[in-house]
Amino acid sequence: MAATQPRIYEGTRIPSPTPTILRVPDELRESADILEVNFGPNHPSTHGVLRLIVQLDGESVVGLQAVIGYLHTGFEKSMEQKTWWKAIPYAPRMDYLAFQANEYAFVAAVEKLLGIEVPPKAVWMRMLLLELNRIHSHLVWLGTSALELGAISPFWYTFRERDRILDLFELVAGARMHTRYFQIGGLAEDIPSGFFDQCREFCEVMPKAVDQYEAMLDQNPIWLARTKGVGVLSAEDAIALGQSGPVLRGSGVNWDLRRAEPYLAYGQVEFDVPVKQNGDVWDRYKVHMDEMRESTRIVRQALDGLPPGPWIADDRKVVLPPREELHTSMESLIHHFKLVTEGFTVPEGEVYVAVESARGELGCYVCSDGGPRPWRVRFRAPSFVALQATATCMSDALVADMIAVVGSLDTVMGEVDR
Amino acid sequence: MSAGNDPNGKRLRDYGLQSERLLWPGKGPGVFETEVSALQDRLMLTTLEKAVAWAQTKSMWPDTFGLACCAIEMMSIVSSRYDIARFGMEAFRASPRQADLLVVSGRVVHKMAAPLRQIYDQMLEPKWVVAMGACASSGGMFNNYTTLQGVDKIVPVDIYVPGCPPRPEGLMEGIVRLHEKVAAGVPPAYEIRGVAQ
Amino acid sequence: MSLASIPGLVETMEAHGETTVVVDAARITEAALHLHDELGYDFLSDLSAVDYLGWGEEPVAGYWGNAWGRDLNIPGTAALSRTPEPKPKRFAVNYHLLRVAASGEGPQRLRVQAWLDDGEPVASVVSIWPTADWHEREAWDMMGIRFEGHPNLVRILMSDDWAGHPHRKDYPIGGEPVRFSDAE
Repeated sequence: MAATQPRIYEGTRIPSPTPTILRVPDELRESADILEVNFGPNHPSTHGVLRLIVQLDGESVVGLQAVIGYLHTGFEKSMEQKTWWKAIPYAPRMDYLAFQANEYAFVAAVEKLLGIEVPPKAVWMRMLLLELNRIHSHLVWLGTSALELGAISPFWYTFRERDRILDLFELVAGARMHTRYFQIGGLAEDIPSGFFDQCREFCEVMPKAVDQYEAMLDQNPIWLARTKGVGVLSAEDAIALGQSGPVLRGSGVNWDLRRAEPYLAYGQVEFDVPVKQNGDVWDRYKVHMDEMRESTRIVRQALDGLPPGPWIADDRKVVLPPREELHTSMESLIHHFKLVTEGFTVPEGEVYVAVESARGELGCYVCSDGGPRPWRVRFRAPSFVALQATATCMSDALVADMIAVVGSLDTVMGEVDR
Repeated sequence: MSAGNDPNGKRLRDYGLQSERLLWPGKGPGVFETEVSALQDRLMLTTLEKAVAWAQTKSMWPDTFGLACCAIEMMSIVSSRYDIARFGMEAFRASPRQADLLVVSGRVVHKMAAPLRQIYDQMLEPKWVVAMGACASSGGMFNNYTTLQGVDKIVPVDIYVPGCPPRPEGLMEGIVRLHEKVAAGVPPAYEIRGVAQ
Repeated sequence: MSLASIPGLVETMEAHGETTVVVDAARITEAALHLHDELGYDFLSDLSAVDYLGWGEEPVAGYWGNAWGRDLNIPGTAALSRTPEPKPKRFAVNYHLLRVAASGEGPQRLRVQAWLDDGEPVASVVSIWPTADWHEREAWDMMGIRFEGHPNLVRILMSDDWAGHPHRKDYPIGGEPVRFSDAE
């Protein structure tokens, strides 16, 4: 009954029988002196709590196995215990770098089930914030990945811009991270007036900052030697392994959900999707840098194109009425009371919403039983899938390359373990 | 609004305000400072002990124990805007044997509890622990089968920093208060709390 | 070649702009091969399981519901909510498929659903979409669904010696009771 022949793995670099485990070949086990090292859950690379069990023959990695679960917080089960509103703050804490992408995926799935239409101002603002989140994620990625490879200075440069983005988030939503600004139906609050000028200033500063980072790294012979030709992932392997985002585009596959299945207002703004051909760490790095520039372009266009109007839908069964109305209208008072105490119900059904987060396809599958709480929420985390490619990228590589490869896959353990 | 301008000549604490770290002259000490100075008078450290305590606070190296979202804010205290290097702490040691301070930043799950305790055990005395964020202090918003409800169940904690995640300034406030505690002579938490050593 | 040609097809449903294809769990390998080779679904986005234990038993939204639910035209039903229809078996395994580089007929995204009872195994699709490796391990770890032919079906998120499958509906959420005052 089961097809156990590894048919896909012939001719590819994907290890078999288990695609995610690099096994020491038997002839090496006898002849060579294999050293098994544990790159434990606490290690200086700041990608979080990932454990890699590595078998080394000298400097080359002959066996690799990733052990995860050190940050499994039971998000999905916790969200089942809360009402639809109260489940929203759980989402950004999964991928804590591009946090609003998770928020958006969940909120969009619920809005799809409800059939509620979001006003254009909220749509454009969500798109703007998602792109800022993408830049934020890439900045932290660049700072930490460069730090791990020994390029220590870019950390301070990237965190300087990152603080500017967090200032913008604080201006808009009141908190630097995990803003919970997306509400079912639109945005939780209106956009404050100082935001647009500050965001425009940021858009002026950002492309020059990206040039600065490239000036620091691109000509550095150590950086080039450590990233070019390292950790190659071919296009077929990438698709077979379910990769998406910069990893997939670095391997030559022109696939971006913002282009292929446009959501929010991505169909109305101009941007290019960077695709590189070789699939090594250098190409993924370049894709990240170009994406930062493209995201700034989108933010600029969103600032110009943001329409005026309401920031949240008008459906009083789902959305809180404006506070001024509570003084005069009895129905508003009752709606407010029911929404805050009991919450609303979402019609029965199941949806899957996929969003192009900074790491790739972030999917949110929501199943509702018609009640006030989710029946099942499942997040398809791009980092969970990206880590599966470690073994393939690390066929014939040195232990020092492992850090570069794991860094380039841009994993966030919060969403790997959920 | 400063006490010097108050028409009745009252100070902030006379109005019931106990907030510390206010930067205007004439403000009296807050609750924390009063308690710490009371402790200091009671403990009566010798000059040598005071000097040693002062030295301990001036270069307390943290261990890289970033777990989740709080780790990102912990990284940002190293960045140039918040600059923990002012306090001599920018050298985050990867090896716990070279670290003094364990900033548990993020949610600790049962699977990670054993490595956390191992790291804590590998640190050399004197060592301090800061529980950063709601998840490390008490389990945060995750009260479930897998999350440790507070890291003080397995390691003795000196300072709890609230927030989800706490702002970098919040974490630095916690660290500075730790420095003041240590300089006053308060022993590290493993000597006070009843958590297994 | 359209969706009707999938071997083991039980039902096709469309809702919210998404197509769901229900496939007999015993024939999932043939169906997966057909979907990958003939219909060009080369990308497996997600493989997850849902536990429907207790579906429709609790009152929905605090009201005891019945089959016709709330209808403005039937007096007296304003406070009632519709109880959902019962599901065929306890577990549903959802395969979210996507067509990226290949070509084929049918929608670009597809959800394939297979229904399983507690303890009933289903064939693994690791040899067709290698990315299913960790997804199936997670489904085993969290829901207890056994995938036959998976080369390494061990726990992935929980510790190796954990007992129970946490995402099941009969597994408690756990945690500690919260003390709200000194009196407790």
